Amino acid sequence: MSALVRGVKNAFRNMVRSVGIIVILGLVIALAISMAIARSAVDQKINDVRASTGNTISVSPAGFFGFQGGGTPLTTAEMQKLAQIPNVTSVRQSLQERLSTSDTSLKSSITPGSLGQQFGGGGNGGFGGFGGQSSSSGSTQTFTIPVTFTGTNAPGYALVGGANGGGTEKLTQGSTFAPTSSDDVAVVGKNLASANRLSVGSTFTAWGATIKVIGIYDAGSTFADDGVLMPLSTVQTLANASGQVTSATVVVNSVDNVATVTNQVKAELGSKADVTSTQQIVENQLAPLNSVKTISTYTLIGSVIAAGLILLLSMLMIVRERRREIGVLKAIGAPNKTVVGQFVSESLTFTVLGSILGLIVGIVLSNPITNALVSSNTNSTSTGFAGPGGGFVRPGGFSGGGGGNFMPPSGGGGFRFGGFHSFSNTLTQVHAAASWSTLLVAFVIAIVIAVIGSTVAVANVVRVRPAEVLRSE
Amino acid sequence: MLTVENLEKSFTTPAGDVHAVDDVSFVANTGEMVAIVGPSGSGKSTLLSLLGLLDAPDSGSIEIDGRELGNLSSSERTKFRAHDVGFVFQGFNLIPNLTAQENVELVLEFADWPKDERADRAEEMLEMVGFTPEMAKRRPSRLSGGEQQRVAIARAFATQPPLILADEPTGSLDKKTGQKIVQLLRAAASAQNATVLVVTHDDRVAEQADRRFEIEDGKLSEVG
Repeated sequence: MSALVRGVKNAFRNMVRSVGIIVILGLVIALAISMAIARSAVDQKINDVRASTGNTISVSPAGFFGFQGGGTPLTTAEMQKLAQIPNVTSVRQSLQERLSTSDTSLKSSITPGSLGQQFGGGGNGGFGGFGGQSSSSGSTQTFTIPVTFTGTNAPGYALVGGANGGGTEKLTQGSTFAPTSSDDVAVVGKNLASANRLSVGSTFTAWGATIKVIGIYDAGSTFADDGVLMPLSTVQTLANASGQVTSATVVVNSVDNVATVTNQVKAELGSKADVTSTQQIVENQLAPLNSVKTISTYTLIGSVIAAGLILLLSMLMIVRERRREIGVLKAIGAPNKTVVGQFVSESLTFTVLGSILGLIVGIVLSNPITNALVSSNTNSTSTGFAGPGGGFVRPGGFSGGGGGNFMPPSGGGGFRFGGFHSFSNTLTQVHAAASWSTLLVAFVIAIVIAVIGSTVAVANVVRVRPAEVLRSE
Repeated sequence: MLTVENLEKSFTTPAGDVHAVDDVSFVANTGEMVAIVGPSGSGKSTLLSLLGLLDAPDSGSIEIDGRELGNLSSSERTKFRAHDVGFVFQGFNLIPNLTAQENVELVLEFADWPKDERADRAEEMLEMVGFTPEMAKRRPSRLSGGEQQRVAIARAFATQPPLILADEPTGSLDKKTGQKIVQLLRAAASAQNATVLVVTHDDRVAEQADRRFEIEDGKLSEVG
């Protein structure tokens, strides 16, 4: 019978004590494994969210907020500099103008309605605000909603749809224009086209020029489908806003480079632009998950140390109890390595059985524990979470300033509207599942515990002198 | 043959230095049973520790069959104990969770006996001390004191060592059983041509030895 087999047999010399050690060890290891699984699941979630938030940076003039804010327009020249920044793949530029019926032959498909009456007439400028017509005469206010013209060098990137609660514009009729086009052409929203009886080939006037409809788009929202998309340089020329840009989206080659490029864009534009990356916003929202990750990491480390200490103290007790036996073994010719091997084997037996128990319990408990951790952390920060979302839409400006078209600074990215809410909901949907890596983690944990647990036992075994056996007779 | 010359060992205690073994010299021949008697604290067990290389002497020499043991390294001492010395303790000191057979096989493992010969050798030794195959499967807790000491004797002689050291082998046994154990020790020593050194304070045990030494305050003297 080898020392290893004797060690395994020794682990069951005192069944009650052995079961106690294995159960306690198993529970602590279960906690460690649950934490490892939770950490892995949360980490995966964080990575998924980061990967899904895109690789874009929104740039708008400082102080600009749709048609409510101010600021000085950015320029095409500045945008060209941004395009030179390493890792930037493209810069999508846009210039938005709102035209009233005096500047265009088009009429908005949207009726002001009671909300329009409420918000539109309440402030200086009312709903029409920037370019609309408003009148305030006592309690009856009438105005027409202006039509939004968006000049862009990147048609088809949710410049209208994404900004107004819809999706990427889908061309339902005709074709679109080239990014560098300067023709007097337009792709018109389906609602606007319908209200003005436009179809592909029709014309309308804007800024005194005749514009030809080359396509009809559907962006999935009433407001978005009330717009007009035109080539950037055409709008710049017609609106007498040569070289001006009201928003831009910088596209970065990788999510990993977004933070660096954001800093470079800020450095390039200085205080004249508001630069926001989706990643920054996401990082704020991911803070609760990062907390869970930190908690699970520390708990994992603490559990492994606790398990190691439990085993260490148990083995210390066992070695002290068998001091005489160790002396006998040495007296009858057992080398230190054999006696040490026997106790390490005993320690490993406890560890392996504890790990098996811990693995089973840990896998079973990992999902509830992960959900509890994620829920408690995201709930505790939910108040703060709602704040930025509400502030972003600026309810105050909505009612007082009268900007009907509550455009986000970037004018792009459906994520900014409603995206927050659904995104925050998915944050709590973390599914913890065991995998091969879990087994590997459990194996590493077991090794660490066995090493910690055996060290002191081994030191004590080596210190026992065989002569002590005879002295104690 | 065991030759001991000018062996000394002292310990430092709060009360001062104690000479546990003080200039001890003697010779024990092969196949001979030698008894060392003395009261408690006279240095009997310390002398046995030195002879079994469980402890190192301060000075002096120990030789077995002309081989000097004083300058062996720690691992050589371990090897020596495994191959050349058999211990019989007062409290038997069998490993409690191993059967009688496994207890005997244990020393054969430490002495590097071929694996396939260990079981046969253990059976043979247990048979020599009067154990049936059924008894050989019992654990120490299911054996009487006398039976346990017989297993200890089988264990001590299993590796055919030239030296057997017995520390109060009858101390935990009744008179009749003790008598049988001493007879067994004598018989085994003679059968295996081993030198047996018995430390005891029981005159009846000492009387059965070929020679008898007395130890007092660490000094050894032959008395018969």
